[in-house]
Amino acid sequence: MTTEYKYLIESLRRRRFLQTSGALGLAAASGVLPQIVYAQGKKILKMRTYADMRSLDPAHSQGIVDEEIQSAIYSKLIQYKPGREWGWELDAAESIEQVDGTHIKFKLKPGIMFTNGYGEMTAEDVKYSFERILDEAIESTNTPDWGSLKEVSVDGKYAGTIVFNEPYPPAWNIALPYIVGNIICKKAWEEAGGKVDTTTPCTSGPYVHQEWQPKQKTILARNPDWYGGSAAFDEIHIFPIDDENTAQIAFESGDIDFTRLSLSAVGNLKASPPENSTIDEYPSLYYVWVGMNVENEVTANQNLRKAIQHCIDVPSILQASYFGAADAATGIIAPGLTGHRAQSMVPPAADIAKAKEYLAAAGMEGGATVTLDVLNKAANVTTAQIIQATCAEAGINVDVNMHESGAFWSLGDSSAGERYKDVQLILNRFSMGPDPSYATAWFITDQRGIWNWEWFSNEEFDKLEAAAKAEADQAARDEMYQRMQDLMEDSGAYRFITHEATPVIYRNSIKPALRPDGLPLLRHFTPA
Amino acid sequence: MIGILKRITREPLGLIGLSLVVLMLVSALLAGLIAPYDPIELAIIDRLQAPSANHLLGTDQLGRDLFSRVLYGGQVALKVALVSIGAALGIGVLLGMIAGFGPRWLDNFIMLFFDTIRSFPTVMFALATVALVGPSLETVIAVIIVTTIPNYGRVVRTQTLSIKSNEFIKAERAMGASTTRMLGVHVLPNVMGPLMILASMDIPTVIALEAGLSFLGMGVKPPTPSWGSILNDGFGLIRNTPWPIIAGSIPLVLITLGFTFLGESLRDQIDPKLRRNL
Repeated sequence: MTTEYKYLIESLRRRRFLQTSGALGLAAASGVLPQIVYAQGKKILKMRTYADMRSLDPAHSQGIVDEEIQSAIYSKLIQYKPGREWGWELDAAESIEQVDGTHIKFKLKPGIMFTNGYGEMTAEDVKYSFERILDEAIESTNTPDWGSLKEVSVDGKYAGTIVFNEPYPPAWNIALPYIVGNIICKKAWEEAGGKVDTTTPCTSGPYVHQEWQPKQKTILARNPDWYGGSAAFDEIHIFPIDDENTAQIAFESGDIDFTRLSLSAVGNLKASPPENSTIDEYPSLYYVWVGMNVENEVTANQNLRKAIQHCIDVPSILQASYFGAADAATGIIAPGLTGHRAQSMVPPAADIAKAKEYLAAAGMEGGATVTLDVLNKAANVTTAQIIQATCAEAGINVDVNMHESGAFWSLGDSSAGERYKDVQLILNRFSMGPDPSYATAWFITDQRGIWNWEWFSNEEFDKLEAAAKAEADQAARDEMYQRMQDLMEDSGAYRFITHEATPVIYRNSIKPALRPDGLPLLRHFTPA
Repeated sequence: MIGILKRITREPLGLIGLSLVVLMLVSALLAGLIAPYDPIELAIIDRLQAPSANHLLGTDQLGRDLFSRVLYGGQVALKVALVSIGAALGIGVLLGMIAGFGPRWLDNFIMLFFDTIRSFPTVMFALATVALVGPSLETVIAVIIVTTIPNYGRVVRTQTLSIKSNEFIKAERAMGASTTRMLGVHVLPNVMGPLMILASMDIPTVIALEAGLSFLGMGVKPPTPSWGSILNDGFGLIRNTPWPIIAGSIPLVLITLGFTFLGESLRDQIDPKLRRNL
């Protein structure tokens, strides 16, 4: 072969390569090619979570991130149903029924197999999974989710009864379909010494845990033996990305197929969305409020607290801190949940005249000075400055103290020193599950100095909180939780701000499945 | 002094540096007259506006005029720089001269103190202090003073030790001159030149440190405008608007360049070994 001929061949190959790759690039850019990765013929879903996985043991699950993974690899008797309304659907249970206030009978589907040769799931596995959460030796952080669970009795190979000491309606909302409802294999766990961490001996869901690269990604792979058929994706790659702006960049560059967005990004993205993508907005269960310490010598004055309630202009906060993408909260229980109030006692808009009346009643016509502690995140600092400005109109000087995360979360903790006594106003934000008891539990008298940083104490509230958890009548329950929020607000110790919102963006090549609060249910994601 | 200034203005970099520093000083001192808006007044309806005739640098997420906030932020930067560098210089000179002129044990003790302070990374020391006592402008100034003292103290000590062994000092001592006189008349004038260069070089570092702490939410408290807090506000909104980031960055860049050019020019003029026109 002559040199010229060789050059010609190479040149043609190069040209052909450039033409082909150029055409492929154009096709991809124009959306002709599907965006789902088909590397080596695999269908891979690429997700983002806000934190890294911490545990694959339901007893030690650290919240949403762990649960997103666990709900894809383990089975539960029932699972949350994707959609805009809270509800559940059967998973491992063939049937499940509340037979009376304290008993739930269930029957497992036969033939649900654990991976790695651990055999079929039986009622003994359900008993072991649920009861170990109560075992003090396990030191589960999720014990409260089971409420008054007494035991699980085994009525047959597949049948059993969940027995409570007293009625526990939240079991259907925050226990059975959530973290503590994951069913593990008794035999495998006993062989592992009763506890696992970031690996798991066996699973039974549509996916199996394949690999965890700390701070990099978690890989789930299709479980070929899943009783429900074939999972939609060969693999799910889950990337921990803390910052939502970074996640947005990752989405725009094609590195991920689904992410939650920051509220600040929604407006721009809606105006100019990335190609082949969809933005959906969901309400959130978070609740944000300004708490006032009733035990502090300054904010012990109820009229001062009420003056501050009327000074805080929630619409301005929603506009500036939440970019108009969130609604005003009427309490701590989000819309769509039992106990949600249609409106708050103090209207969202500030009423400076009324605030001045309360200030006069407080004996502080000349004004007052209070401190406001906030976590040094952008939305919080912006909110604090709006509060500062509107309070100033009524003559209340607000001194804003910003704290980094570690310092902030120990502010009201009475076991961490005497600092909690100096807390006056605090801008706070809690997450919750889809049951009102998840929100009210932190404001009872026993929680003072733990999570009740306002030191709010009300006998009626405490009684209602205990009674509502055990109330099976939904209408009565609804009324009780509404009354509890009335008591909180009437104390002057709380000014409810918002429940925030959950905007998400996803590639049109996938069909996401989300809870009503916008959190992903990975097992239900499918290609479009 | 006038001679030095004249020589500085003859050099392009010196002139640029001096002009930037003067611009910063004047705009900060006259912020109350120049600023078109109250820097802390909210106007949420006008939030996140791009630069316009009404708002030269646009507005932030609370509708505050960024140009006004930058001008007032200069006051914070100036206050931090002058107060902290001034105090550190004063204490450093005093301790440095005591260490250089005093007994050996005192010298060792002061040097141990300097080394101890310098062993802490400045930012970590600042973060730890702020976490303990809470964020405020005073805390930032105190942290900067403490961490900067050794810079000046060491220079002064070295110069003092060097001057102390000179014949004329021995002669002064033989004639019964007091230590105060020897330090004030002979040592101090000889160390002031290098210290001025060092101080002018430290000013942008100090301003950047204050901005850094404010950026982390550990500097000045809201609603006081600071270049760092403007940057912090802008960082969260960078996907929405670049203007707060630009507004917060411009003065930091200019002041860093200004003091660096001025310091280098000053060094060229004061230090004969480095003076280029010799």
